[in-house]
Amino acid sequence: MTKKILIIEDEKIMLELLQKKLTKEGYEVLVARDGKEGLEKMRKKNPNLILLDIIMPKMGGFEVMEEMNKDKKFKKIPVIVVSNSGQPVELDRAQKLGAKDWLIKTEFDPQEVLDKVVEQIGK
Amino acid sequence: MADEKLNLIKEELNRAKEDLGDLEMYIKEFSSFLPLAVCTVNPIEIIININQVFQALTGYDSLEINGEHLAKIFLEKEKIKNLLNLTRKRGKVRTKELVLILKDRKEIPVNVSVSIRKDRDGNFIGYFLALFDITEIKKFREELEGKVKIRTKELEDSRKALINMLEDVEEAREKTEEEKNKTLAVITNLADGLLVFDATNNLSIVNPQAEEFFKVKSKDLIDKSILELTKIPEFSPLVRILGKEIKEIYRRELTVRKDLTLEMSTVSLIREKEKLGTLIILHNITREKLVEKMKTEFVSLSAHQLRTPLSSIKWALKMLLDGDIGKITEEQRDFIKKTYQSNERMIALINDLLDVTRIEEGKYLYNPVFTQIENIIQSVINYYQREIKRKKIKFEFKKAQKKFPKLKIDVEKMKVAIGNLLDNAIRYTQVGGTVTFFLDCVKNKVEFSIHDTGIGISIDQQERIFTKFFRGANAVQMETEGTGLGLYIAKNIIEAHNGKIWFKSNPKKGTTFYFNLPVEKEFEEFLKKF
Repeated sequence: MTKKILIIEDEKIMLELLQKKLTKEGYEVLVARDGKEGLEKMRKKNPNLILLDIIMPKMGGFEVMEEMNKDKKFKKIPVIVVSNSGQPVELDRAQKLGAKDWLIKTEFDPQEVLDKVVEQIGK
Repeated sequence: MADEKLNLIKEELNRAKEDLGDLEMYIKEFSSFLPLAVCTVNPIEIIININQVFQALTGYDSLEINGEHLAKIFLEKEKIKNLLNLTRKRGKVRTKELVLILKDRKEIPVNVSVSIRKDRDGNFIGYFLALFDITEIKKFREELEGKVKIRTKELEDSRKALINMLEDVEEAREKTEEEKNKTLAVITNLADGLLVFDATNNLSIVNPQAEEFFKVKSKDLIDKSILELTKIPEFSPLVRILGKEIKEIYRRELTVRKDLTLEMSTVSLIREKEKLGTLIILHNITREKLVEKMKTEFVSLSAHQLRTPLSSIKWALKMLLDGDIGKITEEQRDFIKKTYQSNERMIALINDLLDVTRIEEGKYLYNPVFTQIENIIQSVINYYQREIKRKKIKFEFKKAQKKFPKLKIDVEKMKVAIGNLLDNAIRYTQVGGTVTFFLDCVKNKVEFSIHDTGIGISIDQQERIFTKFFRGANAVQMETEGTGLGLYIAKNIIEAHNGKIWFKSNPKKGTTFYFNLPVEKEFEEFLKKF
């Protein structure tokens, strides 16, 4: 069965690039442009993994994780944060909210993101 | 009978004559023993008789002087006349000083006493004058007076000198007073807070600005010891930094209240090698801090905004290179690769800029914990293992065989500092070179040094090596990448921990960077004892 990955990211180009990379690898890719839209897609589509940006309009990444923690089903979905910054305080907070990994966009590239996804849910 | 009587009278007369003659002889002889020169003068002031002493004194004999006017032998003619007149009235005048003219025209001072002569009926018949040579006396007196004068002058001089000295002392006192007032005025009106501790570490001066900073009254603090001051809540953060010995502190931040941040420095007051006390200067940097914070926030935000498009570029280029978007020609690959590398440099620069702003924030936000330093060094070394292998560098971590005390450090920041130094050592050492990390603990300091056999720092650029954005010319030639921020950041971090950093470098032979960190005895522990 094709695994579903939800990308919640406000930067359109990043979204397109990731989508292309993951689709090419055989994943079904769902996209949302902000946290709110992300939560809706989660409910409807039941993804296997979430790639989550932190700074976004309407609802940020931390709030998304907080919302997910309130829901038994959502709580189990692995989250990989893909963010522009990566200060120790932010990493701490994400870890406490249950994030599996934290990738800084400038330090990783799509291939490495893909590797992390595979690490979490397999191909 | 008559003849008999006549003979008797004649005899009487002869006897009387003889008696008289005897008497005259007697008087003459007697008067010759007198040391006093005497002359007899008739009513019209003619000398009629002198004694031997008079002769000896004046040089005149009786024949020469008898019959001469008395005024002849005195210099002051008028005075002698007056003297005689006065004698007529009073009968006697004693010791008037006059100048006598001797036969040889020499003038000498004499004391003259005059009395009047009377016959047996009491009629005025002239004067007796007694003259007493006072040359010697006068000379003696003059000598004495001279001596007295000299002595008086000496006394006068020393009195003047004394007065001068007193005036000088007074002047000096006034000057000191004035200086003191000036200094006091400076201390009182200074915008900086000032505290002065005396040699025994008791508080002796608190200026009004310091009172204002801590909301305290000087009178409640004066003469209190550093320990007593810990009991005053407003003061305890300050005292915690100072310690009981009053440490040397240079520009340490002290947050007194939310709206007041001070920068404190201590200055030892030393005169002729003797410590007189410690001056503590408290400079209000609240405004500077705010500006600094705003600047930091601005740079942080800008850097963050810059990173977003850079990551998009990075990802797009990477996918092009990986062939995710479609096949590309070798030429296209070559150009994209170069563009990708430029973008990577841009990302590194932005990251360092962010680090700088974080460091500048860190001066305020820094939160240290007691940590074992060896573990931190080891984790940094582990991070660089791959690069060390790639460059075939002979690397060694030489740690002194002793137990290291825990240090109060900000772990993340210290990793950055050590990492920057190690990164430089590896980066600027040729393939196959040597890098050695030494760690030792001496007295109350942990000492670090990182030695390399790299390119070194040219002498004329050594001064600027810790400056923001500075890169050595040979470093730029060897490695185009690099922002010139690494050492600046390392220095800031080490100094924020009250450490010191320095280096020795030989161009083309290598560089050793040294730094130390103080072992801080926990002041809280010390405070608990009281």
